[in-house]
Amino acid sequence: MTAPLLEIRNLGKRFASRQGREAATWVIQGLSFSVPDGEFLTIIGPSGSGKSTLLNMIAQIDVASDGEILFNGDNIGVLDQKSLKPGLDRRVGYVTQDDNLLPWRTTLDNVLFPLEVQGRLDDKARARAESLIKAVGLSGYEKYYPHELSGGMRKRTSLIRTLVYDPPVILMDEPFAAVDAQTRTQLQEDLLRLWEMGRKTIIFVTHDIAEAVALGDRTLVLTKQPTRIASEHKIPFGRPRNVKDIFALPGFAQVYESIRAEIQ
Amino acid sequence: MKRHRLLIDRILVCIALLALWQLASWYFGVYWVSTPRLTIVKFYNSMMSGEMLRHAGYTIEEAFIGAVIGAVPAIILPFTLRRLPGWVSVIDPFMVGGYGAPKLALAPLFILWFGIGIESKIALVASVVFFIEYFSTLSGVRSLDAKLVQMAQLVGANERQVARHIVFPGAVPNIFAGLRIALPYGIGAAVIAELISSNRGLGYLVQIGAMNFDITQVFAAILGATFVVLAVGWFVDETEKFLLRWRPPADSLMEQIHT
Repeated sequence: MTAPLLEIRNLGKRFASRQGREAATWVIQGLSFSVPDGEFLTIIGPSGSGKSTLLNMIAQIDVASDGEILFNGDNIGVLDQKSLKPGLDRRVGYVTQDDNLLPWRTTLDNVLFPLEVQGRLDDKARARAESLIKAVGLSGYEKYYPHELSGGMRKRTSLIRTLVYDPPVILMDEPFAAVDAQTRTQLQEDLLRLWEMGRKTIIFVTHDIAEAVALGDRTLVLTKQPTRIASEHKIPFGRPRNVKDIFALPGFAQVYESIRAEIQ
Repeated sequence: MKRHRLLIDRILVCIALLALWQLASWYFGVYWVSTPRLTIVKFYNSMMSGEMLRHAGYTIEEAFIGAVIGAVPAIILPFTLRRLPGWVSVIDPFMVGGYGAPKLALAPLFILWFGIGIESKIALVASVVFFIEYFSTLSGVRSLDAKLVQMAQLVGANERQVARHIVFPGAVPNIFAGLRIALPYGIGAAVIAELISSNRGLGYLVQIGAMNFDITQVFAAILGATFVVLAVGWFVDETEKFLLRWRPPADSLMEQIHT
């Protein structure tokens, strides 16, 4: 068996208590899992279970208090604030809950932003950006500013802004939480279609069980604080999948129920 | 339809103000308060002879050079200090002091130091513009959205790129808010410095008028200075509109509320 692309070992996160009177509480403790290359992993947990903190540590915008994060076998779980490398030299992409589009840039220029700062803005890169824009149905909106776009369009823009520079691992922190149900289904379909094109490794955090099952190859369920893995569920559906019909598939109810039983 | 209404209302207000002015002139006497008609005729003649434009041009030159000298470091400084947060606190009391000090009182000092030529006016304009622009830009740099910076760092932007692509565009609205206040003040400062000691400029025209008890001349020169300020304000507004075309139009929101 090949080594996993990303491996989390005994990861812990502790926030210093205010005024230093009480002992610092562990938000995450003894959390371990690994992700093989090309897997679509979904992580589900109760609110406040440190899901965002976990992703922030992997993306190197927050420090771990304990444990190791291995990327391709190299330990990247640094323990001090100063040596953090956000995005791990562009190897980890991060789609956050907020779209964080630059309001002074048009759709196209927002998508091109990563390539621009990475100094990779050539004709090939532009063509890739154009094809991604087309793939999510944003053709014709290239020259629009974010305030002129709908919530779903902004989400799509922020999604392809991360895909455009092709990071090997993409983290997603409840990216579709703030949109209406119908738009969410469309966004999920867009995401799966884009993923089929490149099969990047995705770690997708959500609190929606149906979403976790519909998208993932495998779903991890987290416990309440201090967070660790409660259980692991293999999702028994093949690819490509149809998000709209997934509820009707045999086996869906069973996986759904077994995950729900794990979450209080 | 709405545009017409606004224009008509403005003309009505203008007529009312002119009427008040005329009344004041009748009441106090033309010797003390010149009439609108005399002022406008004087202004017109002065424009035709080129005198007004020559003096206004001189004032604009002082104000422009002074504004550049004052505003450029005032805009650069907060960006530099962004990475040295301790220094903002260190210089803060001095900046507040500089901001609060009555800079027009510096005019005699600058005239002593730099002479009665253009240099003393430029120095005064720069000192006025600098502090207003500094605080305005600083507030823009401080109100920066940390999430946008984080996003940029995640995709690989270095410090310089963050400053250029995130911090600077985010501060542009504040930079312009500062300019809109600082530039009229700067022009005012130039006029005052000319008033005190000069042989050219709109302030000089005011001063000559006052010395000769030619109130109409004083009024016409003030009218000229007002037009200069209005023109500069218009220019700043148009530039801002162009640079900030990415912003959701606030006007449309206001109109929706009013209709």
